[in-house]
Amino acid sequence: MSSHDVRDMLDLPGTAGPRPAKKQKIAAPRSTLKGLAREVQSLGGDNPIAIVPEISVFKKRRLANRKPAAKWEYRPFRNSVRSDGLILRHWRRKPEVPPAPAGEVGRENEADSQVEEPIDDTIFAKFNVQVQVPEYNDEQYNAYLQNEHWTKDETDYLMGLAQEYDLRWPVIWDRYEYVSPIPDVEEGDDAIIPAPKVRSLEDLKARYYKVAAAMMIVHKPQDRMISSEFALYETMLAFNPAQETARKKFAENAFQRTREEAKEEESLLLELKRILARSEKLNEERRELYARLEAPPSSGNIGIYSSSQGLQSLLQQLMTVDKSKKRRSLIGPDGASPASAGPNSLQQGFDRRDSSMRESISGPSGSAVKKGAGQGPTERRQLTEDEERTYGVSHPTDRITSGPFFRYEKLSKPISLKSTAQQAKITNTLNELGLPPRLIMPTVETGTSYEVLLESIVKMLQFRAVSEKLSGEIAVAKAHKAEREKRERAARGEPEPEPEAEKTNEEEAGGERDAAADADPEAQEDMDGEGDVKIEEEQEKSAALSTRGGSAHKRSASVLSTVSDKSTKRQKK
Amino acid sequence: MASQQPMTSSMQPTDVYGGDEVSAIVLDPGYSSIRAGFAGEDLPKSFVNSFYGVQGEKVVFGDDFIHNPLANLEIRNPMSKEGLVEDWDTSTRLWEYAITSRLTTFKQADPRTNGLNDDTKDILVEAVDENEKALEEHPLLLTETAWNSAKNREKSIEIAMESWGCPAFWLARNSVLAAFGSGKATALIVDVGASTASVMCVHDGLILKKSIQRSPLAGNWVSSQLRSLFSTVEPKVDLSPHYTIASKTQVDAGAPSQAVYRKFDTEPSESFRALEEERVLTEFKESVVQVWGGPGKLNATNQSGTTNADYIRSQPGRVFEFPDGANRMWGVERFSASEGLFDASAALPSLNSADPPIQKSQTIPDMLRTSINAVDVDLRPTLLQNIVVAGGSSLLNGFNDRLHNEVSAMFPGARVKIHAPGLTAERRFGSWIGGSILGSLGTFHQMWISKKEYDEFGASIVEKRCK
Ligand SMILES: Nc1ncnc2c1ncn2[C@@H]1O[C@H](COP(=O)(O)OP(=O)(O)OP(=O)(O)O)[C@@H](O)[C@H]1O
Ligand SMILES: [Mg+2]
Repeated sequence: MSSHDVRDMLDLPGTAGPRPAKKQKIAAPRSTLKGLAREVQSLGGDNPIAIVPEISVFKKRRLANRKPAAKWEYRPFRNSVRSDGLILRHWRRKPEVPPAPAGEVGRENEADSQVEEPIDDTIFAKFNVQVQVPEYNDEQYNAYLQNEHWTKDETDYLMGLAQEYDLRWPVIWDRYEYVSPIPDVEEGDDAIIPAPKVRSLEDLKARYYKVAAAMMIVHKPQDRMISSEFALYETMLAFNPAQETARKKFAENAFQRTREEAKEEESLLLELKRILARSEKLNEERRELYARLEAPPSSGNIGIYSSSQGLQSLLQQLMTVDKSKKRRSLIGPDGASPASAGPNSLQQGFDRRDSSMRESISGPSGSAVKKGAGQGPTERRQLTEDEERTYGVSHPTDRITSGPFFRYEKLSKPISLKSTAQQAKITNTLNELGLPPRLIMPTVETGTSYEVLLESIVKMLQFRAVSEKLSGEIAVAKAHKAEREKRERAARGEPEPEPEAEKTNEEEAGGERDAAADADPEAQEDMDGEGDVKIEEEQEKSAALSTRGGSAHKRSASVLSTVSDKSTKRQKK
Repeated sequence: MASQQPMTSSMQPTDVYGGDEVSAIVLDPGYSSIRAGFAGEDLPKSFVNSFYGVQGEKVVFGDDFIHNPLANLEIRNPMSKEGLVEDWDTSTRLWEYAITSRLTTFKQADPRTNGLNDDTKDILVEAVDENEKALEEHPLLLTETAWNSAKNREKSIEIAMESWGCPAFWLARNSVLAAFGSGKATALIVDVGASTASVMCVHDGLILKKSIQRSPLAGNWVSSQLRSLFSTVEPKVDLSPHYTIASKTQVDAGAPSQAVYRKFDTEPSESFRALEEERVLTEFKESVVQVWGGPGKLNATNQSGTTNADYIRSQPGRVFEFPDGANRMWGVERFSASEGLFDASAALPSLNSADPPIQKSQTIPDMLRTSINAVDVDLRPTLLQNIVVAGGSSLLNGFNDRLHNEVSAMFPGARVKIHAPGLTAERRFGSWIGGSILGSLGTFHQMWISKKEYDEFGASIVEKRCK
């Protein structure tokens, strides 16, 4: 069957134009196939199927099958690390002997093997490695290795075990059974046999390392050690049995935990991880916020937006940005509130937090740069009530017409709208109160209090202005009156009387009251109710005026309280 | 062994796994059976019952001879209840039988007879004194329990060197070998054999002596539990072994048997009957007995408020037909015979009132706890991840699950991993396989105690060398 037949079956035109040419191209590889493989190949027609012929040979034919079978011999061998010269035997291939001329072959061969008889060494001899434990003689021991808790005999025993068990400490400790040699009978009561000391694994290690380090320095001064030797020396010196014991104790406790404890620890660890991740995230966000606050104001040309056309395009641009933002928040589950993950999905919640962490590291901070240019949508995060409170987020029901603004801007607005003279006055009053003109921490609460304060100050200033005006008028009127009386007296020819301070004061107060009532018709009603309080305050005020500054705080406090009283009154009505 | 890669006949096995076989023989005697074979092979070629028969003067070895219901055949075991050799003379002969019946008479690929090597001149000379001593050509690797006595150890090297003329000898702990058999040098071994169950920690191929724990709660004890069980169930089970039955007819479950019993002129001995009964019990253990897999003990209450035993009652049981044809369904009872291995309070009272009740400290989980607490704390996590289960009685169904559950509950903070060969043979021959690996390693050549060393230092050398 060829492609021609296939075409036939499918009712396709039998001969296409460029066919012969193509056929020639693939002729070469096709010819290498035989039998069924070629048939299959030709099924593909013009577009041959990629068939890789797999050559599977199950058993390689033996190449040397004409030669006699390989000879093996049960050959003796020795092990050079054994001192007893034990000879064992194993099967080895017999080395090929070149065929010798016929005749005395047999005898010659035998003679050879008898003469040489080379017993090879096992290749495993090299694996016989022994640890080197420190060695010392009596003199050295007395000079460097004395220790109140260890006799030389026991130290020797320890070194012996260390050598025997190749420094496998758990085994050394397990097999450690030192019995001190029985003292001479002459010395007295044989009943006093020192109880064998119970040595901890750390005791043994500490002693060994001490001895080893001491002997190392004896054999080779520190400055001649190569770095690896010195490192070893350092580590041995640094061995701290107490710390090691403490660590073991801790490990032991951890090992003996109950199921509940194990579970609790696990959850605590998880919690800790989460907290760390969260604080890191918070830091990151804060840093990002600062960066944004400090970013230089956009110096982009706004000229193009001055025309209505420009504004239209800007609007459209903003709309598309807004839309994509919305879509993103629908798609990305990462933006969903991380804190809402229930306790049962701790692990999952953690993972998610992790990923949102990553996002906050790479995403927004990366796009902070772009944001300066006014693009790059941010994802909005859902806040919990707690967080809203800490960040001071509120959801005003009425639309803010002027768009978003900073809180301090809002606070400074009432001041900046005033005339320069007024501004100076307000700042003065604030100074008197010991408050900065601009709030350091404009949180929601301080902001509202500040607003109330400003309102009060403005009101107070108004009152003061009115009162000053009135007292000025009174003074003028008095002067007029005095002038008139003088003239009258002069006309009558009476002498000058003493001025009556008390009376004037009273008059003044009364006048002032009237003036205030005139100036603020609302305030008059207050005064009806709280007249005496008012008077007291006015007096205080005048007293304070004389002492200026000294009791500024007190006064302003009372002023404030009055004002707030008034305002509450007013609100009530 | 290591035969995954194709190996041509011309390749030295050394190239593959560091092996260098010296035709060593590995001999692993236990209370129930003796395993022997050449080091480097997968399984022991020779598997001989430890029980032997005494018929007057004649002593017979091997399963072919000891199961004949002969009038005066006494069955004995040279091993003590602790798995140690008691009767050295018979042990020697039994071991010799184990080796010669299967191993050395099979001249393994003997070049002198298979004609591959044609220069036969020097071999004829050697062939003369071949029969003198059994093992002149073969180093011997013998296994022993961790609690073997020093006297016993010296005795074994004497036999190897003097009676058998071994060129080299080594005495290895069977638990260490079980660890090697699972490919581990550091492991916690739980070996539940016939006479004893033992738990111990092995670090780098050396037993940590302080961690050795053993108890008699093993295969034989489970058998005795079964006897207790059979005497308490209704209707009572008649444990007549096969040789007592002439013919039997099929009966319904729970119905009394209708077997015809064989008549003997003189009844075979008690010990013979005990051996044959034990065979039935082993069959029962293999096919019916089950260990409750956990979590929790068999009598513990589970989440649904019922006990685990209640749960089992709701599950289908298993039928077992005894030699006399009586058969019945075994439900929760099949769990109760083995529960004592894990829960001392659930053990059935022994038929022999002289037996002391078992202690909690003898159960396998408690032995494991004591054992692991006796080693350095730094080793414990590793050991718990390398728990190697060996011995025939660990083949009880559900044993590993239960062990895993018990150990995990005991050390909730640690990772617990149990290594148990899936193949029955590998579990039963675990320590032999370990010996086979060890004996075929090239690096092991330097370890052997040679005949020369033995001659020089005497039998006490075994204490010094085989630690
Ligand atoms: N499939 C099985 N299920 C349950 N028990 C079994 C099974 N196979 C064997 N046994 C039991 O295992 C025990 C034999 O185990 P093993 O061969 O490990 O003991 P051993 O090494 O000879 O004895 P020991 O270690 O005490 O000297 C016997 O008691 C036998 O009843
Ligand atoms: Mg055993």
